Amino acid sequence: MSLENLTKKFLEIAVQSAPPAPGPDTPAAEPQPLVVATQHAVKGYDLDVTVPPERVLDAARIMDEAAFMLESITGVDWLAEQQLEVVYDYTCLVSGARVTVRARVPRATPELPSIEALHPGANWHEREAHDFFGLIFTGHPGLIALLLPEDATFHPLLKDFSA
Amino acid sequence: MEEQTEVPQGLIHFAVLDKALDLARANSLWPMTFGLACCAIEMMATGASRFDMARFGCEVFRPSPRQCDLMIVCGTVNKKMAPAVSTLYDQMPEPKWVIAMGNCAISGGPFKFPGQYGIVEGVDKLFPVDVYVPGCPPRPEALIEGILQLEKKLTGRRRWPVASAS
Amino acid sequence: MTQGTQSIHRETFVLNLGPQHPATHGVLRIKLTMDGEYIEDAEPVIGYGHRMQEKMGENRSYAKYLPNTARLDYVAAMFNTHGYVCAVERLAGIAVPERAEFIRVITAELNRVASHLLWVGAFLVDLGGFTPLLYTFDDREQILDLLEATTGARLTFCYYRFGGVCNDIDDDFVAGTRKFIAHLRSRMPMYHAFITKNIIFRKRCEEIAVISAETCRKFGATGPVIRGSGVAYDVRKLEPYSVYPRFNFNVPVYPEGDCMARYRVRMDEIEESLRILEQALDQLPGGPVMAEKVPRILKPAKGDCYFNVESARGTFGVRLVSDGTDKAYRLKLRSPCFSNLSLFQECSRGLLLPDALALLGSLDLVIPDIDR
Repeated sequence: MSLENLTKKFLEIAVQSAPPAPGPDTPAAEPQPLVVATQHAVKGYDLDVTVPPERVLDAARIMDEAAFMLESITGVDWLAEQQLEVVYDYTCLVSGARVTVRARVPRATPELPSIEALHPGANWHEREAHDFFGLIFTGHPGLIALLLPEDATFHPLLKDFSA
Repeated sequence: MEEQTEVPQGLIHFAVLDKALDLARANSLWPMTFGLACCAIEMMATGASRFDMARFGCEVFRPSPRQCDLMIVCGTVNKKMAPAVSTLYDQMPEPKWVIAMGNCAISGGPFKFPGQYGIVEGVDKLFPVDVYVPGCPPRPEALIEGILQLEKKLTGRRRWPVASAS
Repeated sequence: MTQGTQSIHRETFVLNLGPQHPATHGVLRIKLTMDGEYIEDAEPVIGYGHRMQEKMGENRSYAKYLPNTARLDYVAAMFNTHGYVCAVERLAGIAVPERAEFIRVITAELNRVASHLLWVGAFLVDLGGFTPLLYTFDDREQILDLLEATTGARLTFCYYRFGGVCNDIDDDFVAGTRKFIAHLRSRMPMYHAFITKNIIFRKRCEEIAVISAETCRKFGATGPVIRGSGVAYDVRKLEPYSVYPRFNFNVPVYPEGDCMARYRVRMDEIEESLRILEQALDQLPGGPVMAEKVPRILKPAKGDCYFNVESARGTFGVRLVSDGTDKAYRLKLRSPCFSNLSLFQECSRGLLLPDALALLGSLDLVIPDIDR
């Protein structure tokens, strides 16, 4: 599946975001879906998609149908914005194209659906993200500690963590 | 009476026999096959063809702690692993010795930082250590030197003269 | 008592493999549910080698974190440093001199050969043959001698720097590498004669633990595992980095998906790496090995980037998020062994325990790379 076709599919589920108004007099621009084609040589990925957290499963389905491989799931803690960003990296085994899917969840309720059913490899990646960031993937078959000790109650990669 | 039948410690010495036993122990140390991290590869290299630990009677790597008398802690011990390492040490029969190989086993090495949440900063916090071999990872020569040092600790004399710096 | 098949008493038991077991290559633990000699379920328990690598990437400056990358996958340390250095260079916009790129390829490929040699020896030990280890370590030591003279380390190389490499290679290195290439080529028929054709080895590997290409994709397995299942996925070809496009080399692929296929892929990769080495030494240009005007304290612009390298075990990826300071805001290390191991539970069902250990060995795991 070509990147153009993928872009079309992602446009339907992506977050609509309006760029900030350039001045107080000029009206804000129309909201645009956050699907950005990036240069592979500069960024390392070809498509940068931001979806609402409840749509990550739809994004995973698009990627699965296009025979992409899930490479990793990770979190980024944006403390100032009180948000956690979840980043999914997909790669195509034939063309080497790479798609980054992002979703942002509030830090207070870091919940989003698990994509384990579509990409079984996500099982461990989600458990790792749960370990490090306290993200809760609803529908995950066993969201228990993976890298940290079984009884660990802390999430070390949160920016406000201190041992 | 129980007090009378008890033999006080250290009353009977088999001085010559003890010396002979120590010599035998020093020349047939049985280390445990126990790789934790990077240093394990250097431990494998020490046992393999070029460095050949068999020259010092120390090549019988045993996977079971019940058959070993030397534990080479080669790598980082983290808090999840620490109970298992302690158990292994407890399972080894006496007399037993420990070599802390590499900076991680000595002090936490490159993984020690203020606010760390994962590692045990030095394996000597878990059980006594006889010889420390620094390096990250130590060269196979360094591990062999550590074993010679342990032999010296057992027998009281060194198998091989110390190489001069020149 | 009920009648028929239901009356047959069936019992499973739980067997704990590791974290200290010679076949688990370190501190991996597997909770096995066994039905006699057959595996019903095998759940890997990892984290016994967790060393806070990603946390340290956030609280140390870029240059200070650099030596720690070599302690991820220490058997093939060059690739980790390569991925990290390239990610930082991509974000900071540093161009690397041509000679440095060549030296990076040469040292990385030497490291790949050393890693595969170590794997062959260790894999054979898993299957019960100790002698090959002594031969492969003998060859591996020669690579380590070459690398040590240039990089100063035997195992945990910290040789690449942001903008180049820290030390130029000399004529001794070039001559020594050429000599080593000829030496290893002369040894390969011996390896094939007494490992590949060995009937015991073949019985332990052929048609054992077949992994389909679809399973590899679903679980994200890369490297020799996916190439042993018939998919020619190699980052060096699909997302060319460094100077790899200039060299003529093949991506070995075997469609069988069994342990033998993964073994053959690695043996062929040794020969392909020797070909790359030969071409790189022939084309080696002169010039500096370090970019000029690399700031002492790197402060890449705000933003994120991803960089992938083809490590000896698969795709090693680095996702770097910078907030414009001298420390990374987030450093995600995508380790190949992590995904390769995650398919073990799926693929080991119904296998005999010794065959599962063959599968485990053929995945080529380095546990601190999984646990990070």
